[in-house]
Amino acid sequence: MSMSRRRLLGAGGGLALTGALASACGSNNGRDGDDHAGQPVLEQWYHQYGEPGTEQAVRRYADAFDQADVQVQWRPGAYDQQTAAALLTKSGPDVFEVNGPTLDQIQGGQVVDLTDLLSEAKDDFNPAVLAPKTYQGKIWAIPQVIDTQLLYYRKSMLENAGVEPPRTLDALIDAAKKLTTKDVKGLFLGNDGGPGVLGGTPLNAAGLTLVTEDGKVGFDDPAAARTLGKLRQLYAEKSLLLGAPSDWSDPAAFTQGLTAMQWSGLWALPQVRKALGDDFGVLPFPRDGAQGAPAVPVGAYGAAVSARSRHKAAAKAYVKWLWVERTNYQEDFALRYGFHIPARISLATKAAKLRQGAAGEAVRYVTDHGHAEPLLWTSASRTAYQDALSRIIKGGADPDGELRSVVRKTEAELRRVQKKN
Amino acid sequence: MRGPLTTTTPTRRLLGPQNRHLWFWIFVGPFVLGLTLFTYVPLAWSVYLSFFDAHNTVSPTDFVGFDNYTAMLGDDAFTGSLVTFLVFTAFIVPATYVLSLALALMVNRLRWAQAFFRSVFFLPVACSYVVAALIWKMSIFNGVRFGLANTVLDWFGADQIAWLSTTDPPWYWLVIVTVRLWLQAGFYMVLFLAGLQRIPPRLYEAAAVDGARPGWQVFRHITFPQLRATSVAVVLLLVINAFQAFDEFYNLLSDSRGYPPYARPPLVYLYYTALGQGQNLGLGSAGAVILALIIAVVTVVQARWFGLGRKED
Amino acid sequence: MQTRESTRDVRDALVGVGRAVRLVLLLALALLFLIPFYLLVRNGLSSEADITSPQWRFFPSELHWSNVRELFDDPNVPMAHALLNSSLIAVLTTVGTLLLASLAGYGLARIPYAYANVVFYWILGTLMVPAAVTFVPSFVLVSSLGWVSTLRGLVVPTLFSAVAAFIFRQYFLGFPRELEDAARVDGLGYWRTYWRVVVPNSRPVFAAVGTIVFIGAWNSFLWPLVIGQDRDAWTVQVALSTFTTAQTVNIHELFVAAAVSIVPLLVVFLVLQRHIVAGVERSGIDD
Repeated sequence: MSMSRRRLLGAGGGLALTGALASACGSNNGRDGDDHAGQPVLEQWYHQYGEPGTEQAVRRYADAFDQADVQVQWRPGAYDQQTAAALLTKSGPDVFEVNGPTLDQIQGGQVVDLTDLLSEAKDDFNPAVLAPKTYQGKIWAIPQVIDTQLLYYRKSMLENAGVEPPRTLDALIDAAKKLTTKDVKGLFLGNDGGPGVLGGTPLNAAGLTLVTEDGKVGFDDPAAARTLGKLRQLYAEKSLLLGAPSDWSDPAAFTQGLTAMQWSGLWALPQVRKALGDDFGVLPFPRDGAQGAPAVPVGAYGAAVSARSRHKAAAKAYVKWLWVERTNYQEDFALRYGFHIPARISLATKAAKLRQGAAGEAVRYVTDHGHAEPLLWTSASRTAYQDALSRIIKGGADPDGELRSVVRKTEAELRRVQKKN
Repeated sequence: MRGPLTTTTPTRRLLGPQNRHLWFWIFVGPFVLGLTLFTYVPLAWSVYLSFFDAHNTVSPTDFVGFDNYTAMLGDDAFTGSLVTFLVFTAFIVPATYVLSLALALMVNRLRWAQAFFRSVFFLPVACSYVVAALIWKMSIFNGVRFGLANTVLDWFGADQIAWLSTTDPPWYWLVIVTVRLWLQAGFYMVLFLAGLQRIPPRLYEAAAVDGARPGWQVFRHITFPQLRATSVAVVLLLVINAFQAFDEFYNLLSDSRGYPPYARPPLVYLYYTALGQGQNLGLGSAGAVILALIIAVVTVVQARWFGLGRKED
Repeated sequence: MQTRESTRDVRDALVGVGRAVRLVLLLALALLFLIPFYLLVRNGLSSEADITSPQWRFFPSELHWSNVRELFDDPNVPMAHALLNSSLIAVLTTVGTLLLASLAGYGLARIPYAYANVVFYWILGTLMVPAAVTFVPSFVLVSSLGWVSTLRGLVVPTLFSAVAAFIFRQYFLGFPRELEDAARVDGLGYWRTYWRVVVPNSRPVFAAVGTIVFIGAWNSFLWPLVIGQDRDAWTVQVALSTFTTAQTVNIHELFVAAAVSIVPLLVVFLVLQRHIVAGVERSGIDD
């Protein structure tokens, strides 16, 4: 395997290093699209997954593809920034996973239309995560796995405090307050107090959306201000854990007993179970108001092909092979290392691991209450919304006023992207 | 070889002028060439981008004139961040100045263990912002009970504080300022130490003869005026550094979902606008040009104010 | 006489008290400055449970030296390789910068040329341009040269330091002319004067600038992250960032990695410190 060879070189000392870098200087790794033993060379990028074994697995899949020499790059750090910068150049990837693609990437012609890869398999992909990858009827990335987020709660702590698992936002605020003691906080929504990870979820729980089906602002409604205003209470009553060493994506704060409830990813489930056994449960974000319903966010990294690739046909063939045809690899990728829901309905329903206990509930929440971020929700809108939410929660700013300015900005963004049609 | 680079200036010394011009460019040319390629070309490119609607592209076609500039100047988040860094500069510059000068004065007077103290204060200069931010965020000023700051508070029976997440009072400034002081004070201390070494001892002897009391009087009338050149350089460097603040803010306050709307320096805001999924390179470049202009104006005004550059003529 | 004597006594006593206060203050400050280093080592050699223990422990209940081995055995982070990469990059950057900037500084300071001032301000002007401003175009430029993930791409664009050139110019302005004049009389031109007379007599300033450049190269993060895309080209800072951006954070491994990442610098630093101070003194950085 190339991995072990590289590590050997690394251990071999200065000479080996110079060799490795010198070779990296010269020809190499398919950036120039050199043919390699008569095969096109494809470069494929993944962001760094936390679960051990994932990297080895994707390298194994890549090696098994026999129509091209696929070279996997495992990228730590700010992945979105790196791909965005690399897509501006020829030295970017051919195939890459993307938390998108964004509307601007599609409109800017940076990614290739993949509609024909799906063909008959299209109906087997979860429609909630396929929708944001679809623009004007065309599909721009193949969903790999579905991720979602949940409210984890510690059963024993709730029992001791005489608190029921919260089913409404008011109950959640109440519970968080009652569960807060000198050493343990009631709820952890991330070190920023919630705006980053929650996104549109509280709006969904109030029966609203970020952007409506017909491309209008979906939260220009008094209910939005009411719901977001309630989040302020969590912060003001000091029920929130803030400044933990690791953020919401890591269940450490929950398993270390720093908080009684935590909003975190489905991926954290195995770790939580290992640390706490049966002493935990999961809930969706609780509903708020008469129009409200419980909500969980869903999203999927998708496999996309760069429009600057020199081997688009080979790259498309590879994506089709890996993410449409090889269901055994898709199953392996989703279930064996981390804990994700396969994007294919047929795989998700037959996975035994996803049927019982907390995992089974999580799958049900995704089916019944899942909301994906709409494609029209651009980065500029998201920044404006997050800033406003942060000012509401931490600064106690007036929700009505803050939301009005977000609505204005979002409307401008929607006009901009719709004009480009 | 002589070509267009050589001009004929009628100075006569040991070597002919043509020859000297050639030598000038042999010495300076490679550096200027590289600097032009790797700084001015990208800069010019940024200026060019700032006049276009450049979403996700560096070769835009949609000319928009000054739209990006008006949009940026009308953006509360950007103007807010300009105010943020003005406040930050107004605070960090005097604070670093005073601390590093005080350290230098104290270390300079030591008769023993001088090298030890100098090393201790200088050592943090070797730390990267990544490492320093890590220590500050995760071990000293984390918001939970096993953070050092909260442990100390606990000894006095005070409540835990979420240092980086509390906006009222804005404790996060304490974290940002202390990390920068720790990283930088030692470097400027060495500059001051060098300045102090250059003050002729006879000035102090004369002052002692005149009956000046050691301490404040000597400092005020001799040491401080003699350090003027050093002070000017230190303040200039501090201001430029403060305006370009990025690393410690980014490493302390950003998370996977972005950056909070407070303590957000302009460079961080532009980073999110232009890079990342925002990829609004036109708007980001316009903001960058505005920022560079502000820095240029402030630097020039400051240099004039201090009378710097006079001896260049 | 009597009163004069007593005022002198009082003054001496005051000076003594002042000295004691100063020493206490210095010791307190030194302690504060050392705390972060202490935490780095403490956390790096602790078990996860010791770090997150509700009861603060000044010293880990047991020193986990195995953390260091665990770090170098971690298959996800090629730490040893990254250390070598960083060393190579830092050394090349330092040598290259010293060469280019000192030549430029000398030319600006010593070779009469009508437009020398224009060139000088052309160089100085770049100090005011924040690097992040030109980041994207720089990246596109370097990648269009085909330099992504290459040693060239990691080193060459960073070699042109205006600060270094500025420091060298200031220093050479104050370089004793007599030495050069003697060389000139011996018939040496600019080039040979520079190498035979100027460089050998300027070691402290080279040491000072070299150290600053070395630190900067070792600690730089954003550029290596984006340019050094292959794992083979990761630097220590990039490797370090894999710990902080992973979904779950392993605190002790993160800290032991951070400690390992600064050890080489601290060694360079302590060895060269004397020269740095001497170099700053003579370089006129602050003039």
